[in-house]
Amino acid sequence: MTSTSSRIEPFSILPPADRLLIKSMIAVALAALVLGVLAGLATALVRGGLLSVPLSSGYRFLTVHGVSTFFYWLFAAQAALLLSFAATEHGGGLTWPRLARLGFVLMLSGLVLSIVGSLSGTPLLYNGSPELAADNPGQLLPFNLGYVTMALGLMAIPASAIATLLRPRWQGREERLSARGFALFTWAGFLIVSGFAALYTFLPGVFWSLGIGPFPASHTTRWHIVFHNMHYLPLMATVILWYVLMQALTGVKSVFGERFSKIVFSMYLVFVPPTSLYHMFLEPDLPKFVQVGGSVLSLFVSVPTLTAFLIVVASLEVHARAQGGSAQGWSLFGWIRLLPWRHPSMAAMGVAVLSMALGMVFAFVLIQAQLAPLLSDTFFVPGYFHFFTVGTVSMTLLAALAVVLPALSGRPIWRPSLMRWMPWLAFAGLLVFGAAGIAAGYMGVPRRVMDVSYQQQAPAIWRILMSAVAVGGSVMAAALLAFASGIAAALLPQGRATVPPVSLTVSWGSTVLQPGLKAWVGPIAIAAIVAAMVVFSALAFELMQALPIAATGAAGNH
Amino acid sequence: MNEDFWLIIPVAIVWALLGLAYALAPWGDMIGYAWVWGFGSVLFLGLSALLVHRTVRDKR
Repeated sequence: MTSTSSRIEPFSILPPADRLLIKSMIAVALAALVLGVLAGLATALVRGGLLSVPLSSGYRFLTVHGVSTFFYWLFAAQAALLLSFAATEHGGGLTWPRLARLGFVLMLSGLVLSIVGSLSGTPLLYNGSPELAADNPGQLLPFNLGYVTMALGLMAIPASAIATLLRPRWQGREERLSARGFALFTWAGFLIVSGFAALYTFLPGVFWSLGIGPFPASHTTRWHIVFHNMHYLPLMATVILWYVLMQALTGVKSVFGERFSKIVFSMYLVFVPPTSLYHMFLEPDLPKFVQVGGSVLSLFVSVPTLTAFLIVVASLEVHARAQGGSAQGWSLFGWIRLLPWRHPSMAAMGVAVLSMALGMVFAFVLIQAQLAPLLSDTFFVPGYFHFFTVGTVSMTLLAALAVVLPALSGRPIWRPSLMRWMPWLAFAGLLVFGAAGIAAGYMGVPRRVMDVSYQQQAPAIWRILMSAVAVGGSVMAAALLAFASGIAAALLPQGRATVPPVSLTVSWGSTVLQPGLKAWVGPIAIAAIVAAMVVFSALAFELMQALPIAATGAAGNH
Repeated sequence: MNEDFWLIIPVAIVWALLGLAYALAPWGDMIGYAWVWGFGSVLFLGLSALLVHRTVRDKR
C-alpha cells in the first residue's frame, strides 16, 4: 500500500459535521464531473459521426455537458476546496457552518433543477437562451431556477469561508492573513460576485417563465457578464491551488515572500474586470477605440496568472537545485525530474501547466478584435478552451482533491502508481482534440452544429477533423473518468492497512538556500508562450486573409 | 490597517470606476456590467471594512 499523504493541514481534527459537509460537496462535484464528461463524450461522438442519434439528442448531450461541467463541477469543486482550506487555515473548523450547509443544499438543488431543465423540452444549451423557449416559457423555469439556486449557494458558501478566515483576527489572535489565507479571502469574494452575476443573468428568465416579468431581451449581454466571471474565476482558483499544492507536495513556500504573493492575488481582481470588454467584440456598433482598448486590456488578464506561475516555478526550481548531489538537479531542465511525479496530484499539476501555456497561446489569437468575429462561432473556440477547462482548471481541481480527499477521509487514492498516468493520458487525448478542433476552426467548421456535412457539400477535411475530435475526446473522457474514480475511491469507508504507507511527496521546506541560485525555467517558459502567441496569431491572420469571405460581426455567444 | 486592507481597497476602487464607466457608456447595453462590478465594488469595500474590524476594536 502507498500513501498519498502530504504536508496538508490536519483535516482529521475538523469537527465531524464539517468533514461530512466537505466530503458531500466533493462527492456532488465529482458526480457532476462524471455526468458532464459522459455527456461530452456523447457529444463528441455525435459530432464525429461515430454515434448516430437524432440531432436533438446531440444538442441535449451538449446542454448537459455544458451545464454539468462548466457550472456544477467547476463551482461545486471550488466551493468544496475553498471551504476545506479555509476550515483548516487555523484548524478550528468552519464559522457559520449552517450557512455553508445551506449553500451546499442550494447548489445540490440547483444541479437537480438544471439537469431536469436540460433533459426536458427543447435543449437550451448551457447559456439557457430564452429565445429557444419562446414558445414554451415554462420550460425555462427549472433550468433557470437551477442556476439561480446555484448562484445563491455560491454566495452563501464563500460567506462562511470569509467568516472562518477572519475569525482569529476578530478574536485578536492574528495580526494579518497568511498569503494563503489572503488568497482564499479574495477567491471567496470573487465567488460571491460571480454568484450575483448569475442571479442578475438568470433571474429575469425565472420571472418571465412565471408570467410575472417581461421577456429577457437582454439575456445575451447578461450572459457575457456571467460568462466572463465564470471563465476567469476558475483560473484564479487554479493559481491559488498551485500555490497551496506546491507547499503540500514539496513543503516549499514562495521564495518571493508572503507580501508579494498577496499582491499577485489582489492583481487578479484588479485586472480581470476591465478585460470584460472583449466579450463585446461581436457587437457591430462597438466603437473602434473600444475594440482597440479591449484588445490591449485583454493582454493584462494573463499578467497575474503568469506572475503566479513564475512564483511557483521559481520557488520549486531553486529548492530543487539546492538539493544538489545529482547532475540532473543542476541542468537547465533536469531539476524538474526531482519533483514528486509519483504523486498523481503532481502529474495533474504538470498537465495543468502545459495546458495553460497552450490555452494562453490560442486565447491570445481569439481575443484580437480583427480575429474574434471570424473565429468566435467556429470550432476553434471549443478546440482551445478545453485546454483551459479540462487541461488547466479541471486537472488542478482534481490535483487538489487528490490531496484533500485522502487527508479528509484517511483513505489513500486508489492505485496511485496507475492514477499518476491518467492526467498524461487525458492530456494526450486533449492534444488530439485541441489540435483537430483548432484546425477545424481555422477552416471554418461551425461550433454548436451537430451535423456539419451540409448535404455532403462541406469540405471533406471537415469530417476528418471532427472524427479526430471524437477520438481525442474519447481518450480524454476515459482518462478523466478513471482519474476522478480513483480519487472518489477515497470517499469509501477506510479499509485495514496491512503495509506501512510510503510517502509520495518530497520535503524541501527546510532546505537552506545558498545565495546565487538561478531559476531560468519560468522566464524561458513565458518567453516561449509569447513567441508561440505571435506565431499562431500570424498564422491566423494569414489563413483568415486567404478565405474568400468577409465577416462584419455576428450575435454569437461563448 | 495592514497590507491586507490596502490590497483590497484598490479592488473596490477599480471596480467602482469600471462600474461607473459602464453605466455611462453610450454604446451597447452595458448597464448589466455596471450592476455586477458595482455590486463587487460595494462587496469588496465591505470586506475591507471587515479587515479593519479588529483595529477598531483595539482602539476602544
